[in-house]
Amino acid sequence: MMELLITVFSATFFVTIIRTTTPLLLATLGGLIADLGGALNVALEGMMLIGCLTAVIVSVYAPWYVAVAAGLGAGALLGLIMAFFAFRLKADIILVGFAINILAAGGTVFALAIATGGDKGTSINLQSKAVPAVDLSFLSAIPGIGPVLKSFLSGHSVLSWLAAFLVFAVWYFLYRTPWGLWLRGVGEYPAAPEAAGIPVNKIRTLSLVVSGALAGLGGAQLAMFNYVGFTRDMTAGRGFIALGAVLLGARHPVGALLAALLFGAFEALAVVMPGLFNDIPAELIRMIPFVVTIAALVLFSIRAQRALALRGVK
Amino acid sequence: MALLEAIGIGKTYPGGVVANDGVNLVIEPGEVHAVVGENGAGKSTLMKILFGIEQPNAGTLLLDNRQVHFSKPREAIDAGIGMVFQHFSLVPSFSVYENVVLGSEPRAGIRLDRQKAIAEVQALSDKFRLKVDPLPPVGSLPVGQQQRVEILKALYRNARILILDEPTAVLAPQEVQELFVAIRSLVAQGKTVIFIAHKLPEVLEISNSITVMRQGKTVGQVKTKEVTEKSLAAMMVGREVSLRVERKPTEQTERVASVSGLRIVNARGTEVVAGLDLNVYAGEIVGLVGVEGNGQAETLEAIAGLRQVAAGDIVVANQNANPLSVLQRRGLGLASIPEDRIAEGLSTGSTVAENLVATRLNDSRYVRGGLLDLKAIKANAQKLIERFSIRVGGPGSAVGTLSGGNMQKVVVARELSEQPKLLLVNQPTRGVDLGATQFIWRTITDARDKGAAVLLSSADLSELLALSDRLLVLYRGKIVAAFLNTPDLTPETLGTYMLGLSTQTADEMQAALK
Repeated sequence: MMELLITVFSATFFVTIIRTTTPLLLATLGGLIADLGGALNVALEGMMLIGCLTAVIVSVYAPWYVAVAAGLGAGALLGLIMAFFAFRLKADIILVGFAINILAAGGTVFALAIATGGDKGTSINLQSKAVPAVDLSFLSAIPGIGPVLKSFLSGHSVLSWLAAFLVFAVWYFLYRTPWGLWLRGVGEYPAAPEAAGIPVNKIRTLSLVVSGALAGLGGAQLAMFNYVGFTRDMTAGRGFIALGAVLLGARHPVGALLAALLFGAFEALAVVMPGLFNDIPAELIRMIPFVVTIAALVLFSIRAQRALALRGVK
Repeated sequence: MALLEAIGIGKTYPGGVVANDGVNLVIEPGEVHAVVGENGAGKSTLMKILFGIEQPNAGTLLLDNRQVHFSKPREAIDAGIGMVFQHFSLVPSFSVYENVVLGSEPRAGIRLDRQKAIAEVQALSDKFRLKVDPLPPVGSLPVGQQQRVEILKALYRNARILILDEPTAVLAPQEVQELFVAIRSLVAQGKTVIFIAHKLPEVLEISNSITVMRQGKTVGQVKTKEVTEKSLAAMMVGREVSLRVERKPTEQTERVASVSGLRIVNARGTEVVAGLDLNVYAGEIVGLVGVEGNGQAETLEAIAGLRQVAAGDIVVANQNANPLSVLQRRGLGLASIPEDRIAEGLSTGSTVAENLVATRLNDSRYVRGGLLDLKAIKANAQKLIERFSIRVGGPGSAVGTLSGGNMQKVVVARELSEQPKLLLVNQPTRGVDLGATQFIWRTITDARDKGAAVLLSSADLSELLALSDRLLVLYRGKIVAAFLNTPDLTPETLGTYMLGLSTQTADEMQAALK
């Protein structure tokens, strides 16, 4: 137990949390934008997975940033496809989302086998690249707190810094720009923006494209930093956890950050615990993030109900 | 010289419904021009054409004597035409100023310039005497203020011509007066107002000229000072109409229903009914008066068993109804004509015959051994279609294909095919034309004459005054005044109480509370 506490309060563990949180946070921001625009994006999972594979394969042949852009582009394209089916062809958006998830689960294995020449499990024999970490070693030159600062801030993925910036950018976009107003209006009461001459379906389509792009970016971080290389089903439900995080974060970007951090922390715990507790099966420990997701959503719902009950609603 | 002119407008919807057929409209600058007609006369279609929502199949539009063509609302807005619909298009959680500027925001770089938006909304509101605070969320405002926000939206987009679609339908009499003050101020500052309406006294009060429509055609255009309510009604309907209902005196001794200490809390946690007591006797119609959202609808729903009660007792036919289900209450002789016929009164995808027996599925006449007796159901439908003169292809037509008035007749036919003991009625003639309105009024009074106790709620004060024996005014979920319906009771008197401007004492209410 002592060892666990020491581990949890170490700078290394903090760095691990940031690493596990980043893909989740990017996907959560993607889910948030689609959700506020009134289009529930249940395909985050599939978009992330395809983003992973695209980034890995492209990185074999191109620099890392091109690979990241490719992962992002793949997600955006899927968002566009989803919007086309849901808004142009009027298909049910949930069913379209699940179709994309199923396509991603099977399609990535198929594409992986072609790219690797037959391997259906991992991309281990592909020379894929990683996203570089941002080296802030110069911070240790600061007297006193320097070394501590360095151990906490140095070594994060470029995309982690980008994700942190995006929390602010998404907030600014939603609450300070006219387009954010349009997006929120479209999500809450489409008749109003429609009457004001705002192209409702175009806004929704763009929100799904951005949503997909963010999920794809999350996939790139997952397959080019958290792990280097692709493994089948490597997103392991992160897209669905992100959907939960959108609600848990009260549909606000800062809430999304906190919710993603919560889930990221438990995932990090699941990463370090197997090494410390040999007698607990690793599979059980790896269940923790999912159990926490369910528990958090249940608690959130109970709290919301209780708040209503306090005001006298049965 | 005319500002806006429509010449020979024709519009046929896919499916063959002729909504407009050679319609002419001439709007002079700076006037209030009323367009009146029954529901289905083609007023809305004409306005949708003026605003670019629908495109005409024939005819031309002239604005400032130049031919124009609007293929979407944006083009009409850019040409200086604004429209306020009956159903507002406002985002509830957005503030007033956000709703006003939505789509044409003042910007500072990529940022929405909040200060400028607030200042501009405030300036417009002052200039046109449309008093509203720019900051609170629209969802928290009363309907009258939401309507002002809609008008501000149009003015913010530089509308010269404002189309108001039945703007008074949702307002209390005092709010109507405030709206008229605003309309006069708009006209005084050079705007032109087109006013769609079916309440003739209001039309006569506010307009300068009137265009009358009937069955997709313009019957005529008249100067307001040259017509009376009666001649206008005759023009609208094409024959003389009686706006009164004959009622027999009835014995009112048996108490059919009573409600005591009723409290209802809605899903958002606000108390909508706060300690309500009322009695209804056999052979009387009790009108629940109030601006929409003051607890009338919720009270009726609670009595029907459709809504949870936080506290209080409901007694129907000497039985405690609190633990009873909707169906058990109906078994006691309760019938209910709900507010929203499409959402609550009917299954629009099902046939007329099916809808007419939907409340009687444990009746052995229509269901035997768990199977529907289709022959009996069809015979029942044919009988009721005839008795209630429902205009429909046959018992097998889907209810969704009927006009509003005929849909409402299906609901009325189902609820009143057998004499109820207690009848709950909410907005019986909303969106229903004059002919069907008269029929529905007569059906309700017939039920009363035969001994039904009736609780009636309506947004239309003239309807309440025409039908009720007693009137109870609700404000914020409480009864604030009670009246016996006498000829000298006016909408203005009721309005003072509806807006909570005054409250009767217990003694004053005594006589009419019973």
